[in-house]
Amino acid sequence: MSSRESDRISSAQQTLDILHDISQLLNTQLDKETLATCVGMIESGVNPEALAAVIQELRRESQALNAPRNTNGR
Amino acid sequence: MPSTLESLVCSLVPKARNDVVLRQELTEHCQEILRQNVDPDIGHLADVIKRHLLQSSPNGVTTLRFTNLLSRLLDQPVLSRKHASLSFLHSLAVSPKPPSTPSAFLPSLAPPPPPRHSAYSNPSTPADPSPPAKAQKGKSKAEILREYRRKTGHPHLSEHLILRDTLYLLQGISGKYVHFSPSTDPNGNNELIFTDDPRYLIPNPTKALIHRLAEVGHLYMRVDAFVQEREGKGGVGMIEQSLCHHLQTQLTEYYRLIAVLESQMSTTNTGTDATDPDDVNVREEETGLTLKRLDVWIEDWRLRMRMMSVCVEGARGAHGGALVNLIHGYADNGDPFVRKFTDQLLEEVSKPFFSTLHKWLFSGELNDPFSEFFVAVDPELAHLQYVQPGGHDGSGALANDSGFGGFGGDAEDLSAEREGGLKLWESKHQFRKEMLPAFVGEVFGRKIFSTGKSLNFIRYTCQDSDWVATREKLSNTGGTLKYSDIAGLERSIDTAYQIASQRLFEVFFEKYKLLDHLQALKHYLLLGYGDFTDQLMETLSPSLTRPANTLYRHNLTATLESAIRSSNAQNDPPDVLRRLDARMMEYSHGEIGWDVFTLEYKVDSPIDTVLDPEAMIKYLKLFNHLWKIKRIENTLSNGWMRIAGGARTFLRVPDLDHEWHQIRIVMAEMIHFIRQIEAYCQLEVIECSWKALFEFVQKKEGDLDALIESHRVYLDRMVKKILLLSPKAGREENLLNQVRDVFTIILQFREATDDFYNYCLSEAARRDSEKDAERGLYTYAERATDRRYNPEAVHDILGRVREYGSSFSDRTQTIVQALQVHADLDCRFLAVRLSFSDFYRTRKEQQQRS
Repeated sequence: MSSRESDRISSAQQTLDILHDISQLLNTQLDKETLATCVGMIESGVNPEALAAVIQELRRESQALNAPRNTNGR
Repeated sequence: MPSTLESLVCSLVPKARNDVVLRQELTEHCQEILRQNVDPDIGHLADVIKRHLLQSSPNGVTTLRFTNLLSRLLDQPVLSRKHASLSFLHSLAVSPKPPSTPSAFLPSLAPPPPPRHSAYSNPSTPADPSPPAKAQKGKSKAEILREYRRKTGHPHLSEHLILRDTLYLLQGISGKYVHFSPSTDPNGNNELIFTDDPRYLIPNPTKALIHRLAEVGHLYMRVDAFVQEREGKGGVGMIEQSLCHHLQTQLTEYYRLIAVLESQMSTTNTGTDATDPDDVNVREEETGLTLKRLDVWIEDWRLRMRMMSVCVEGARGAHGGALVNLIHGYADNGDPFVRKFTDQLLEEVSKPFFSTLHKWLFSGELNDPFSEFFVAVDPELAHLQYVQPGGHDGSGALANDSGFGGFGGDAEDLSAEREGGLKLWESKHQFRKEMLPAFVGEVFGRKIFSTGKSLNFIRYTCQDSDWVATREKLSNTGGTLKYSDIAGLERSIDTAYQIASQRLFEVFFEKYKLLDHLQALKHYLLLGYGDFTDQLMETLSPSLTRPANTLYRHNLTATLESAIRSSNAQNDPPDVLRRLDARMMEYSHGEIGWDVFTLEYKVDSPIDTVLDPEAMIKYLKLFNHLWKIKRIENTLSNGWMRIAGGARTFLRVPDLDHEWHQIRIVMAEMIHFIRQIEAYCQLEVIECSWKALFEFVQKKEGDLDALIESHRVYLDRMVKKILLLSPKAGREENLLNQVRDVFTIILQFREATDDFYNYCLSEAARRDSEKDAERGLYTYAERATDRRYNPEAVHDILGRVREYGSSFSDRTQTIVQALQVHADLDCRFLAVRLSFSDFYRTRKEQQQRS
């Protein structure tokens, strides 16, 4: 039972590695953790393109939040 | 699900970890976005990704790696939605990083900042992320500027509008925005004017481009105008016509190009929505026509148009051969394009020239209605043809009776006809150097000219058109003449020239027996027939001593005929003898027969081309001089015989023996003088010149011009040497006059000697009768008394004899001296002959000493 579990974990790890490689090839700028989260969400049925939009939205949001602070010293 | 989303929000937006409201807001927003769906197709997606990767790094390494990774991923059992994951990654990859520094200088152009607190109010269509992404990536500064212009209300004129105008300009039509100014320049140069429209601006670089393009249009207008102008006009030369034709063909090509360009432009226009210039630009960049592309297309034609325009400019002033020449001037160009174009043009343009040339070269016809050929015909002489004299066929009728009978009228007729021969040959056709195409070369031009002239001459003057026609037929089998085959042309010219000149020689020497005539002239007029001359002189001299007005032509001709009959001259062909005539020149009061008598040789067409009237005058001059010499010689030898014979037999007056001796010395000197002159004339001048002429004739080379020339040289040489003409201007005839003076002196001397002889004769008779009287025979009693006063008379006579003798000596001495420094070598040799043992020099020295 434990060996199967470890198998599962290792294969999951492998899959994640592969996906991470692809994501780096495609220059998505996602770290492994975020990627894992995203993959998990996709596995649970989230629309991938929508998720991508979400990621972008969030990135922009974070930038917008950072930018005024940088310029205005907030 | 919300929790995972929340954790995602937390990791990506660190601020949200602390701010609950923000976190909830973002989460809700994200959830809303996530409610979309796309159906999966992993193969297609992989392709899309691969293409994307290829774009970013074309060497294919990343693509390969991706394929590898993908296959491994597909092996993994863990994920149930691999496609979704890939699609997610791809979506992220396609969307690039947001610009790190939003452009600061045009805030209005910056992407609108996302509304932070109103997530739903901004449905930025998450399913289609490309437009904003594209807008962020593709905007160059130029585009930004254009957009700015559009906003400020001064947009640039869109290119396809300009393009349309430019296409019009290429055809010389003014467009809407750009047009040609009405021509104010006298040269017809148009200026390009851009319509000032405040709503539209045409940028300067575009203007420059249009200017470049419009040059072609401008040149086109010129060429087209030229062609149109020539088309409607009459009397345009054939060469010009063919130039026009060639230009027209070229222009048709040009139209074809324009049509192709136009169709290309119209497809682009209909294919795009013209309202959005950006869009048009994007499309045009890919497929359609732009100004720059147009420029490239036209480039070739620009050069061609320039060449054509130059030709057209040149064609205004030039005509015919000169035009060909002008075009040929451009053929020597290092640029293969220009060379090829010019060669083509020349090939086309020179066709009429070559057809004229062919006709001229092979049949001697000048078919040149617009006088473009380098041979021009004198219109007055063009249709002048000879009617051959009736007796010319050599039927042997000696008497072309009118020649002997009619005195005045016939001579006039003859001279009128004579004028024609040489004049016809020399001035019927004229060589026009400026019309000669340069590729033919002047030497060949002359040859062509001469060949055609010869053929023409054979055909019309020598009535030998059959031969020419045969030749023409033969020549037609050989290839045509054309520009590209200059070597062949030169060959044909050479052959034609040779054949024509040979034929001309044949005609002259065989059909018209020129050589016989030349010989006859030499024999009769230059006294080559000694027996004939002696005979003539013997029979004529009694009548020639009488005054000129007592002479009658029929007597002269009768004498001439008897002289011919009684000498070897009777063996000459009747055609020659028929032409020989004796007549008197114009005489004035007091002249005697010797002064006015002359032989004459009549020539007719076409021989008179060589023996032109001028030449005949020279022959007569020579005859006159030689005849005089002959007369002096005759006189002297008669006198000598009388003296020598008489002195031995009945002139026995011992006290006058010394005088006789002196007379014989002087007479011997005179005989020497006249014999040397005669020998010099016959041997050194006439025969030598004849030899040169004969050699030329034997060679049978060259054309009629050369023949005329060589005969002229022959004659001039004789005239110069026999008449001892000196090259000094104004004193040419000094020596001749001196020689003539000497002749007069000799005649006077002879007269005085005759007187002395008569005196001696009577004196001897008186003495004889005296002696008879001593013996008792009274024979001449009365006579003896008549001669009583004779001792004074003999003094007078002897004085005359001595005076003439010494003046002869003096004159001869002067002549010899003059001859010694004569410019002509042969004349100097005559001096040597005359003063062979330095006779005159020693005498001069004696004189100087005394």
